[in-house]
Amino acid sequence: MTSDNFDVVATYQQLLIEDPELTMPVAAIESLILALGATPASTMSETLHLVQTCTAELKKSIRNPISLSAGTDLFQQYLISNLQQRPSEGDFDVIRKHLVENGRLFVERAKAARETIAGFGRHFIRDGNVVLTNGGSRVVGALLRSAAESSKSSKTPGGSIRFKVIYVVSSDDSNYTSSEAAENIRALRERDVPVAVIQPSAVAYCMDQVTQVFVGAEGVVENGGVVNRMGTYQMAMIARATRKPFYVVSESHKFVRLYPLGQKDLGIEQDVLIFETASGPEVEDGKSESGIDEGIVADVDEVKERERRGDMALARLSREEAIDYTPPDLISGIITESGVLLPSAVSEELIKIWF
Amino acid sequence: MPDANKDQSPKEQPKDGDSSLSPAELKKRAKAEKQARRAAEKEQRGAGGAGGAEASSSATPQANGGPREVKQGQGQKQHQKGGQPPQQQQQQQQQQQPYHRRSGSQGAQQMPVREKPGKAVAGAGKQGKKEGSKQVELFSHLYTHPRRTTFEGVSKDVHPSVLAFGFKMASYEICGSSARCVAMLLAFKDAIQAYTTPTGTSLARHMTSHHLSPQIEFLKTCRAISESMGNAIRWLKKLIVEIDPNTAEQEAKDYLCEHIGRFIQERIMITDTAIAESAAQQIKPGSVVLTFAKSSIVEKTILEAHEAGTPFRVMVVDSRPLFEGKRLATSLMRVGLEVEYVPFSGLAHAVKDATVVLLGAHAMLSNGRLQSRIGTASVALQAHRAAIPVIVCCESVKFSEKVALDSIVLNEVAPSEELLTPSSLATAHAKKEGEDDEGDKASKNAKTLADWRDISNLQILNLMYDVTPAEYISMIVCEYGSLPPSSVPVVHRLANEGGIAA
Amino acid sequence: MPSVVPGQTPSLSTFLKSLKTNDIDSSVDLLISLLKRRQIRSSRPCAIATTQLMLRVVANERIKEASSLIQRVRDVGRRLIAAQPREMAVGNIVRRVLGVVREVAERDDDGAASSDFASSTPGTPGSVAQTGNATLGRPAVSVNIPTLSPLSQGAALPEDVQTGREPVMSGSTSPSGAGKDQLRPALGSVSSYAGGQAPPQIGSLFGIFQSPATGLSPAGTPPVGGSPAIKPMQKATKDEASKEKLDIKAEVIDGIKELLDELEIVDSQIAESALDHIHSNELILTHTSSQTVQKFLTTAARKRKFTVVHAEAYPNDHETTHATIVNGNKKTTNEDEEEVNERWKPLTSMGITVILIPDTAVFALMSRINKVILAPHTVLANGSLIAAAGASTIAQAAQAHRVPVVVLSGVYKLSPVYPFDTDELVEYGDPGKVVAFQEGEFVEGVEVVNPIYDYVDADLVDLYITNLGGCAPSFLYRIVADHYDNKDINLNVKST
Repeated sequence: MTSDNFDVVATYQQLLIEDPELTMPVAAIESLILALGATPASTMSETLHLVQTCTAELKKSIRNPISLSAGTDLFQQYLISNLQQRPSEGDFDVIRKHLVENGRLFVERAKAARETIAGFGRHFIRDGNVVLTNGGSRVVGALLRSAAESSKSSKTPGGSIRFKVIYVVSSDDSNYTSSEAAENIRALRERDVPVAVIQPSAVAYCMDQVTQVFVGAEGVVENGGVVNRMGTYQMAMIARATRKPFYVVSESHKFVRLYPLGQKDLGIEQDVLIFETASGPEVEDGKSESGIDEGIVADVDEVKERERRGDMALARLSREEAIDYTPPDLISGIITESGVLLPSAVSEELIKIWF
Repeated sequence: MPDANKDQSPKEQPKDGDSSLSPAELKKRAKAEKQARRAAEKEQRGAGGAGGAEASSSATPQANGGPREVKQGQGQKQHQKGGQPPQQQQQQQQQQQPYHRRSGSQGAQQMPVREKPGKAVAGAGKQGKKEGSKQVELFSHLYTHPRRTTFEGVSKDVHPSVLAFGFKMASYEICGSSARCVAMLLAFKDAIQAYTTPTGTSLARHMTSHHLSPQIEFLKTCRAISESMGNAIRWLKKLIVEIDPNTAEQEAKDYLCEHIGRFIQERIMITDTAIAESAAQQIKPGSVVLTFAKSSIVEKTILEAHEAGTPFRVMVVDSRPLFEGKRLATSLMRVGLEVEYVPFSGLAHAVKDATVVLLGAHAMLSNGRLQSRIGTASVALQAHRAAIPVIVCCESVKFSEKVALDSIVLNEVAPSEELLTPSSLATAHAKKEGEDDEGDKASKNAKTLADWRDISNLQILNLMYDVTPAEYISMIVCEYGSLPPSSVPVVHRLANEGGIAA
Repeated sequence: MPSVVPGQTPSLSTFLKSLKTNDIDSSVDLLISLLKRRQIRSSRPCAIATTQLMLRVVANERIKEASSLIQRVRDVGRRLIAAQPREMAVGNIVRRVLGVVREVAERDDDGAASSDFASSTPGTPGSVAQTGNATLGRPAVSVNIPTLSPLSQGAALPEDVQTGREPVMSGSTSPSGAGKDQLRPALGSVSSYAGGQAPPQIGSLFGIFQSPATGLSPAGTPPVGGSPAIKPMQKATKDEASKEKLDIKAEVIDGIKELLDELEIVDSQIAESALDHIHSNELILTHTSSQTVQKFLTTAARKRKFTVVHAEAYPNDHETTHATIVNGNKKTTNEDEEEVNERWKPLTSMGITVILIPDTAVFALMSRINKVILAPHTVLANGSLIAAAGASTIAQAAQAHRVPVVVLSGVYKLSPVYPFDTDELVEYGDPGKVVAFQEGEFVEGVEVVNPIYDYVDADLVDLYITNLGGCAPSFLYRIVADHYDNKDINLNVKST
């Protein structure tokens, strides 16, 4: 740790708590900028080192660093590109100053991106549509709300969209994201949008009623696939089987340089598959027990469950946090703040910032 | 599946035939024609036999040896090859038959008028060598002989009722698997009554091969016989063979006619009602029913649901060249249903709104596939992709032991001329004139599609049926209830091989 | 797209004739009314008419400022698009013309500004890219399509093609241009700003880091257009620049003329790859009559023997289809139309067997077909297309039989519009073509529907062949992005 008095992880968590609207990648960027501001590093290599250490610390501190790493990687890459471009110390100061001074602006911009995306909602949602969504994605929530509002406000031609929403909420998902889902549902119902809440197991049953599916993303990966809450993949498969459009709604700062080839290729251990016999869970060899030190406070239920199972590995994602990977061929389009991208366009965008 | 005489009960058909085309009249015309064509016929006669035999065997491979025997005896004369260019034949036929079904479709009558007088004559000479290049090679097995539209070479044994039915079938005046089956059986009733057993043999042994077979052979030259007709013929032959040789002739004939009547009643009329009642349950309030072309049983089903007071609307997808759906749409519209009529090109539009697809059948094949009016497979495919249930309404008499993987081996090729729309001919003509007016010399030798026989390498393919894969079919409603496509052979055995009916 | 049909071409040719004599405003009004009345219809005539009109609009524009030129073109374009929103070729051409103007203007600005501005903006992403490449020792990833034919590119963007230098962080909409031009917002490559929201200053994934619009830091990428950094510069050099503005107009006119050239040779360019796709003894299915497809097949027929199965597209295009099959592509009545529609013999006279079928027979034959070749009315940015009604039935049957579907489309048919609502894109035609109006009872009692177009989903298409070469539907977004400026995508007034 470069600075003795700056705790990047604590800052990160503080940011997330202070501003519930903040997404993980943006919070990560914000913490890195704060770290930059709090540290009197003056040389390029020192700065890069600082950012790298902080990033590593951040990634280590949470069990699912995919979303966060989209932000830290982007930030790092931005620094590298600029520093390499302008090797002189003077320029470096300018960049640093630019970043440090405009930290809040970046956050605002990220939020503005969400609002822009939300504005697209009314183009996707048409009269009589039934929208299926899951999880507590804020951007999806914003999109649906915006469609609902345009339906209420606009007496102008083309307005008055009446649509319904089917929200997939898992019942064993007591607190991880359900509060956000509940918030979204409440907001929609207040806007006179009928919302049905279903279990993940009812998705296939409901799918023939659905006109299109919107999901959020923790990260949009290099091949155009997405990493999102557990259950997204099966929703996408069912949507494809019934030929319903499946849209991912995501700000472009969630594009992450990760190329999973399958569900096991996410680089994350998850408490999903636990084979048990009467004598308890089978213990596999080679499971990394790399514990985390501080990090996010594990919730009570989780701790209890871990205790019951004999605490397999703290680094593994609990059932509630579990994620899966949806391959790009199941995705009709990725709605970003700059329009609708085909999954095939994601790769190009990532290539462009990394090379 | 599509049924020309929908509105009339099948029993009325013979009467109808009499009024429009009395057998005596037919014969008189036949004679005149014969003389006019004798020369052409002579040229072509040699080619006849083989093709005809192939046609009959491919149409009903399971038909017993009866027809074939006869053919060898009589085929030579009967199977005159198409010495006439089809245009000419059609033209004559249309003039002969005032009630020609196709005259209903817009301006069909103009077609002969458009023909230049010299053309047919010129065509006749070239016909022989050109015929090959006008046949689509992939379907060469289906071009057996042109459909009979004249009396040339018809066996004298063919009963006038059968003759009348044969021509009506060839001209689509009687169209649709069930209607053809019913009309054939009614014609056979007349033919049976006209039969006298020669001395020294019995009805059971003689009738099938010497009296029935010429009728069947004649029908085959008019148009390939349908699966339902094949099943009915097999049933009838079995019935005849099982007659006690000691039965008095008139008694035996009455026995046969009575059973034919019962067959029609039980296997088609009552069955249709039962199927319609059952299938109508699938039309729910607010349903949007999509159907293709015209099936008598689908029509019955829709009417049934409408009478039951279910509020729903219907979309009729129709196709060239028969425009059968137009008549369906008309009859549904007349009972006050909300009907949308969509050309085949608008299929994607129609499927978008539909909630259930009802289809008729030409035949249900043993591997669960549906043989029906060409275009049906596309309708079923689109509905299947859109997760709309596809329901086939089909009497067990149309179930077949045949299997098919594609629409190529089992099919029927209709005359290409049917695809020459009068409107296109007229437009082409008008265009020519228009260009002449503007003095564009080059366009003077512009041809139209009507000249297709003179354009080498141009072929026009007019298939009658296609085969819908079983996976597109959600349900088959027959008189044995609702079944998955996989149960077709079960029902076929039960209904057509177990000898249940009559 | 049906090829030129008698009865509609006169409208195009009379319009083109009238262009020479009428003044601009009445020409614009004339085209609008022709479009509204569908007297000019289908992509190619619409594209030609629009391009010619734009040529006149630009030529007649007195004000030499690029910005006012853009404004003028936009205004006219908006009205044309509003006249017939479903003829997307009109909008495509308008956007291409705007692209030409912008391109010329930017080059001009560069010329004026580069002297002292370039030095003060060393950190442009374009150069970052290069340094980055060098440092990391990685091969430069060119965003340009290798198959880009120089010609079409030239048509859109006359010079200055710097393929290897596509800047890293701007998903720029233009494949060419100097690095400094590339700072314009991007990433919206495949986007449709159907809404009125102008995209914020998102240059790329790095957009979030861009400096505020006040342009405080040179590290930021100056936003194009209203950039305060450039504006003063322009004023300073105003006198000098005004001389160059004359050239702007001339260059824009050149650019539009190249666009016209492109429209003329687009079929030949597409046909060039015919032999790469058609081998001997193939059974090829096509639908309706398209000049592009006919040319493609004719080119292949010169070298190879194959069989064509032609679905007639009843009831809207069957007459044209029949005429094409029987007579080939006869040039119709208008003598003075640009030599776009050259005459050629029917395929049958080249020894190619042509089998005419009704659309219903497509499924029955599909199991033996080797390839399906379609011509679209419009291609949309997500790789889907709008084509003559019946095309979707054919494409679905092809997919069910695993038969590849090849779509031949000139770049001018590529539209940046994202299909939010596919129903909106489908036009309904004259029901009288389905059922004659004489059949009074039927027409009154039955609702007769006659869709003219079908929406064909991208996953039903296996390959696109444009005048730039072949590409997968998943890559179309890039070709679209290469040809239209993000700022121009939203001309469309129909969405508010």
